[in-house]
Amino acid sequence: MAAIRDSALTRAFDNDWIGPGLVSLIAVVAISMAQPAFLSSFNIFVLMSAISVNMVIALGQLVIIGLGQMNLALGSIGGLVAISFVGVIERYGVPVPLALAFALGIGIAAGMSSGYIIARTMISAFIITLAGLQIFKGINLGITEAQPFYGVPEAVKTFGQASVIGPLPWLMVPMMICAFAMWYVFNRMRIGRHILAMGSNPHAAELSGIDPKATIIWAHAISGLLAAIAGLMLVARLQIGQPTIGDDWLISSFAAPVIGGAVLTGGRVSVAGTFFGVVIIAIITQGLVMFNIDPFVVQIVLGALILWAVAVNRLREVRIARVQARGAGA
Amino acid sequence: MKMISKAAAALLLGTVVCAPALADEGTKVALVPGGPHPYFAAWEQAGADAKTEFGLGAADYRVPAKWELNLQSQLLESLLTQGYNSFLIFPGDAVGTTSVAQELVDNGAQVIATAGCLKDPSPALFCLGTDTGNSAYLGAKELIRAMGGKGKIAHFTGFLVDPNTQLRIDAVQKAADETNGAVEVVQVIADIDAPQPAEEKINAYLAANAAGVDGIITTAWVPAVVAANSLRKIGDKRIKMVGIDHDEVVIKAIADGFVDGTMLQNPYGQGFIGSYVLNRLRNGCTLKEDGPWKSNALTNRFVDSGTVFVDQATAPTYVNAMVGITADLLAGFEKDFLTCS
Amino acid sequence: MAHAGADRPIPPGSAPRRMSSGMRLLLGNEFGLAVLILLTAATFALTLDGFTSPFSVYTIGRQIGIDTMIGLAMMAVIVTGGLDLSVGAIGVCSAMLFGWLMQVMGVPVLVAVPLAVLFGASLGFVNGFTVVMSGVHSFIITLASMSIFFGVMIFLTKAAAFNGLPPQVQAFGKMRVLPGISPLLLITVAVCAALVVFYRYSTLGRQMLAAGANARAAELSGIRTGRVIVACHMLTGLLAAIAGLMVTARTGAAVPSMAGQLGQDWLLPAFLAPVLGGTLLSGGRVSVIGTLLGATFINIMTSGLLLMRVGEFWILAFLGMMLLIAVLADRTRQIFLTSRGMI
Repeated sequence: MAAIRDSALTRAFDNDWIGPGLVSLIAVVAISMAQPAFLSSFNIFVLMSAISVNMVIALGQLVIIGLGQMNLALGSIGGLVAISFVGVIERYGVPVPLALAFALGIGIAAGMSSGYIIARTMISAFIITLAGLQIFKGINLGITEAQPFYGVPEAVKTFGQASVIGPLPWLMVPMMICAFAMWYVFNRMRIGRHILAMGSNPHAAELSGIDPKATIIWAHAISGLLAAIAGLMLVARLQIGQPTIGDDWLISSFAAPVIGGAVLTGGRVSVAGTFFGVVIIAIITQGLVMFNIDPFVVQIVLGALILWAVAVNRLREVRIARVQARGAGA
Repeated sequence: MKMISKAAAALLLGTVVCAPALADEGTKVALVPGGPHPYFAAWEQAGADAKTEFGLGAADYRVPAKWELNLQSQLLESLLTQGYNSFLIFPGDAVGTTSVAQELVDNGAQVIATAGCLKDPSPALFCLGTDTGNSAYLGAKELIRAMGGKGKIAHFTGFLVDPNTQLRIDAVQKAADETNGAVEVVQVIADIDAPQPAEEKINAYLAANAAGVDGIITTAWVPAVVAANSLRKIGDKRIKMVGIDHDEVVIKAIADGFVDGTMLQNPYGQGFIGSYVLNRLRNGCTLKEDGPWKSNALTNRFVDSGTVFVDQATAPTYVNAMVGITADLLAGFEKDFLTCS
Repeated sequence: MAHAGADRPIPPGSAPRRMSSGMRLLLGNEFGLAVLILLTAATFALTLDGFTSPFSVYTIGRQIGIDTMIGLAMMAVIVTGGLDLSVGAIGVCSAMLFGWLMQVMGVPVLVAVPLAVLFGASLGFVNGFTVVMSGVHSFIITLASMSIFFGVMIFLTKAAAFNGLPPQVQAFGKMRVLPGISPLLLITVAVCAALVVFYRYSTLGRQMLAAGANARAAELSGIRTGRVIVACHMLTGLLAAIAGLMVTARTGAAVPSMAGQLGQDWLLPAFLAPVLGGTLLSGGRVSVIGTLLGATFINIMTSGLLLMRVGEFWILAFLGMMLLIAVLADRTRQIFLTSRGMI
């Protein structure tokens, strides 16, 4: 356990975020010199709204990455939660707090059921969440027939468009709560340590008395909850219960944690690094629009960025000379 | 959405010169969009109304679950097997849908490319859709007028793979060029007909450039909604905007003065008239080779399903505007395009 | 993926040793699937009008051919315990090169086909080489390469289709060998046969399986696993390219949107078919015939559901349930086999 703490935790929070943090800082300075409007208050508001939602999405994937698994169903859970939330309000007039609890419950239940099946059968998470992706998305389409729900309550709409102070959107509040909570989970709580230990070395973790099934179920439940929160934040931001919410989460949900230094085989995650990963992606997306660059170049840049991050992570690993005995897989 | 279409139907049935309703149980129409999109929602009611009005065997709205070329092909093949013999198809791809359409025709069915065209040569009888180029051109003209004839325009539009997108980009450019430099299209943002990317990119653009832009034209559904919301959020009534289609958000933004107007398309009319024509063609009519066909970048056999601009004054009663164009087109269709025995 | 060890229930060939080969066949995944296919097909044929019409049989068969090829492409890399998210992107890129060669460069069809297929293999090589050199899981490498391949392709083609192909291409896609049989299906069957021979009898094929089952043991027995893994990715690229050309033949044009944004539309058939067919995601075992049967089952179900008019929107949920049930049933079967074999 001591070794795991050393390698996974201390290192993760000591230096994983420095690289992406520096890159974010340089990007902000460079772009704002070329385009002063970048630092206008409305732009900061827009940028922070995008970052807030994408950060919660990335955190949802980060938990599962820490476990050494992947959650392909993240986006479809978010989408199902979003339409369920607006749906019960519009169709059945359910009061907002109740609808909120109901929607979050769906997220947790969806995540838990994936987790339960994975833990019980030990079938790879990839396949189970791939099936989950189709099932949740299918239910979503079956209910909505791909038509959006418009009945978003005014309070929710306001939440998505109002600012706390100055250019900082209200959407930052749930993001910061989630980010802090996840940092706390990984650093201070037993369940977080268990997740990382399972990700580092499942056999050693089991030998040291960790219950693998409970850990897997917990991790997926947390992931489902975060997907649900992100889905609700998007409802507030888009002002509409869109069935397509979540369709495009997959790539960025992996890109941000990886740019932030997470290792896909598990055991090593960085909440701060992930945050800067999200910031970098947001700045690039916005920068390319600002400078009127071909939208398809965005794809190429994002792909190249992932490879670059992988290379940097790899180099650092080699330098630390802590070559992991575990085959990283083909 | 449903309510609107129902209202449209009620008004339409009241005004239409009663077309000769041949009772043929044999015409089974399938209305198949490329994937789920709010634009097509009116097709369902249009089909149902056409069925009762013209006594069709069926006129069903069948949607592929996702925007996948392959899903649409599979659905079309299945519908043919189910006995549908007349198809109104929005091509998932202007070229890629040709072969499946050919297959339907080879097996005795008839196809009208609807709301979007197939690239010639194609097996479709003709293409019935909004003249998207013209619509964008008229919209841009309205915008330029609202801007007082000079300034800078930003254009937000849909998927690059949609055959209509390039037509729209060119048309807006053309309207700007006609002002001899007084109006300039400063940026085109495409591929944002999905809520999250639209939200991020349009807001990012407005954040950086709101001061440098005098007018916005949107030529796809989702960007229109998102841009209307953004202008409301900034509280900006200086920037003029012309949207597209009739999403509640856009109509409300027009009423509240954040958006100057919208170019209505006519999805209901496409479904209704398309079903009517398919039925007539199965019952002794043929298409006139020398009819007043229009042509666009994709095809030489094009029929404009109409487009109309509504502004603050006409927005509350926009349904009437839509019904009007459908009634006009339906009334003249047989004379212009059909030879009936 | 870190649970690769736990994922593998029975070391291939060891557990059910005491069982007769007949028994093993009866409990095998392929057999179960074949029975299921016969049952569903028979039910649909008896209850649904038009299910057995020549047109319906023809289109289902052609789709099975294409889906199987996509599934085989993924299977070839799953063998190593890896995966390739860029199959769709590779397929589209190869198809677009195919179209460009013929329409713009005037290359004859029979020359363009091998060039396009080789191009697919070389994209696979890029994937494999990067995976082996970096030691990073193929998920993340191919996640990146899918964006890059597709992005570069769209950038170069400006998203425009090639629809001026030689008429033989489209004629081939619409041809009927027998009433109701597409040549595309026959190509797939031929490729299946070749792959069965390849995995069973060729050195490279056996090395792929060995490296996938236990990389370290393979390394110790003298197999250069790095090269073998690169070869697997190349095979994936090659098969993906063939699938891309098949779609081109069916469409009669090379269309950039044929596999959706970034080629993501291919991912579901790519995983569904091999996994239903019993290919283990942890590597070391392939089931070529199972993949063919998996794709057959999916397409018969989809086609039947469409004819039953259960509603297009519920089909997606249905396919997901089917995948879940299939893997759970497979799991149960393995547990049963293990318990029987161990007694």
